[in-house]
Amino acid sequence: MAKKKNKQILRPWCWYCEREFEDEKVLMQHQKAKHFKCNMCPRRLNTAGGLAVHIQQVHKLEPENLPRIENALPGRDGYEVEIFGMEGIPAPDVADYKRRKEIELGLSAGSISQPQAKRPKTENRPLTEEELKAQLEAHKALMGASEAPAAPTTDASQGGVYGAPPQAYAAPPTPAVVPPMPGLPPGAPPFFPGMPPPPGAFPGQMPFPPFPGMPGMPGPPPPGFPVPPFPPMGMMPPGASPPFPPPPGALRAPVPGFPPFPPGASPPFGAPGMPTPPLIPGATPMPPSASVTPNPSQYTPNGPPHGGATPSAQPPQLTLPDPTLAQTNPELKKKTSLKYEDPNFSPDERRAIHPRYYFAKGQLASASESKTDAAQISASDESRGKKRARAEDFL
Amino acid sequence: MSDQLELASPPFDSISSVRFSPTNAHQLLVSSWDATVRYYDIASNEQRAKFDHRAAVLSIAFSDASHAYSGGLDTSVRELELETEKIYNLGQHADSISSICHSREANTVISGSWDRTVRFWDPRASTAQQSSHDLPERVYFMDTVNNHLVVAMASRLIHIYDIRKMDKPEQTRESSLKFMTRALACMIDGQGYATASVEGRIAVEYFDPSPEIQDKKYAFKCHRQTIDEVDHVWPVNALAFHPIYNTFASAGSDGTVSIWDHKVKKRLRQYPRYHSAIPSVAFNSDGTKLAVGVSYTWDTGEEGAKTAERPGIYIRTLGEEVKPKGWTG
Repeated sequence: MAKKKNKQILRPWCWYCEREFEDEKVLMQHQKAKHFKCNMCPRRLNTAGGLAVHIQQVHKLEPENLPRIENALPGRDGYEVEIFGMEGIPAPDVADYKRRKEIELGLSAGSISQPQAKRPKTENRPLTEEELKAQLEAHKALMGASEAPAAPTTDASQGGVYGAPPQAYAAPPTPAVVPPMPGLPPGAPPFFPGMPPPPGAFPGQMPFPPFPGMPGMPGPPPPGFPVPPFPPMGMMPPGASPPFPPPPGALRAPVPGFPPFPPGASPPFGAPGMPTPPLIPGATPMPPSASVTPNPSQYTPNGPPHGGATPSAQPPQLTLPDPTLAQTNPELKKKTSLKYEDPNFSPDERRAIHPRYYFAKGQLASASESKTDAAQISASDESRGKKRARAEDFL
Repeated sequence: MSDQLELASPPFDSISSVRFSPTNAHQLLVSSWDATVRYYDIASNEQRAKFDHRAAVLSIAFSDASHAYSGGLDTSVRELELETEKIYNLGQHADSISSICHSREANTVISGSWDRTVRFWDPRASTAQQSSHDLPERVYFMDTVNNHLVVAMASRLIHIYDIRKMDKPEQTRESSLKFMTRALACMIDGQGYATASVEGRIAVEYFDPSPEIQDKKYAFKCHRQTIDEVDHVWPVNALAFHPIYNTFASAGSDGTVSIWDHKVKKRLRQYPRYHSAIPSVAFNSDGTKLAVGVSYTWDTGEEGAKTAERPGIYIRTLGEEVKPKGWTG
């Protein structure tokens, strides 16, 4: 779906010189004529690789002193990237090009470059007044009538912000009717732990969609749902609990970057049966749904790796058997992006302790005494077989 | 493309190793993180058998056309009978088995593990495990040629053994590469071996300890690309020597495979980039095909796995590019 949309907006373009073309056929003709033309004979090749081979084999030039690709932008005149029309363009360059195109065309950021699939799966339309009312009623019913009166007051205090132009979500919220999450339960977890944002900075920068599990919100929340900014203290109705976390410091700050949990859900930490999300400060926040609902279309680690075989076994930390041999990577002179940086543990070792793959040692000890044949093994492997069936679905 | 064939029914998860039969040019084994070893006939492009394991399989080795040995996270050394599809358990290591090889000279199966041992196995004996040899570090890779056994370990250690005298290593070396060893392969002519590191570099080394031979060893950069003045450097995940020409193939997380002539220090060919990293490559017994396993190699951990593409196994038909210039046979 996303691809289709891109095609409508972006015309084929040449990676070497960033010229646009009517269609890919013309683009390929252009590339043959401008970039893949041999400068020692009239021959035109289809790709950079083809040109390189041609020059090496026909004109007997060593691979080191191949001429750079002609008419190319600086940095794009090498043979490493195999371009054929629009195929083979490095992903970062595609993203970069789209971003620049967006600016050029005056489109809002992300309209081309953001893959559609990454958008939160919310219905992108403003809710009708009836629906909003129904939702409000449902919410009130859930929260108890006592807290309901707080709603209109908070609503009134925020007119200014609602006027702010929506940035990320195409459909503008309908200002007058959107209930600003009336009366959140007192003590509800803050929305943006450790980072109460300035009012107004919101709708466009919401790093994740509104919480699907929000009480009183049956169905998808309206797009661009404005998170009510912190109302001025003076405006706060007496007795009403702030709809928003107090300023930083007032509340015990949870782990920064940790996805907040919907109010009413079980406590985030140490909850039995709930996968503990990585506690990395500063990590990209992800929608809470990602950590609660396993998404089958993703490579998510779900549960113990090999069926019921290792339910209690926790993957250990990697430890060096002999710390005196610990390695450190030497400094690199040039500006370098090293794709694998751990000097002490191989990618395979790191992978082996991932819950998806981890296999507790010793559980085989009894079974391995004598030669076992295939039948026995496959019988005891039944549960793992099921796991693979899931993998098959995904692929 | 006509010079390349993609195998139907690849594993569902990353490939750990691809190996051809020592005698039959069409038999290929593929071990995978999906806890299987698959047995393919590349001539008919069909999966002939699948061997289920309890956990991810990291390494696989043929002994003859109908037997192979596997090892992986479940710490068991297993014998696979390819025709009858039977699995026999030979014994255990104390930790995951990272590498398995078969020595033709000694007719022995050798396994190396992160438990810091190398063990020898004889599948015909009543107790299969023949011996266990302690090492200072976790074994990452092993390869054998003639009577040499090269063991590459963590912390950049390399031991060279004579498999007839395993009580102590013939030579102990520190890798000439400054970064973690990521691949190892012995030359077909038995003169030496090549290692590769996570920092896009390959070292060519020789067994003979005499200074004039040792002077010939060298290392070179590869599997890297300069983008906007930043050097992007990928791990080199696999090395394989051509069974006839003694040239070698290297494959990296950048998704490329290169063929090198280490005698004249030249690259003979770089194949077009594959869609993902390449964890393993192998030449077949007559050197006419190169199997290329393409899948995510966990370089960026779980994050990378989320966007990883489907694993694939490609069989490339080789031409003159694997022959050194002026080869006379």
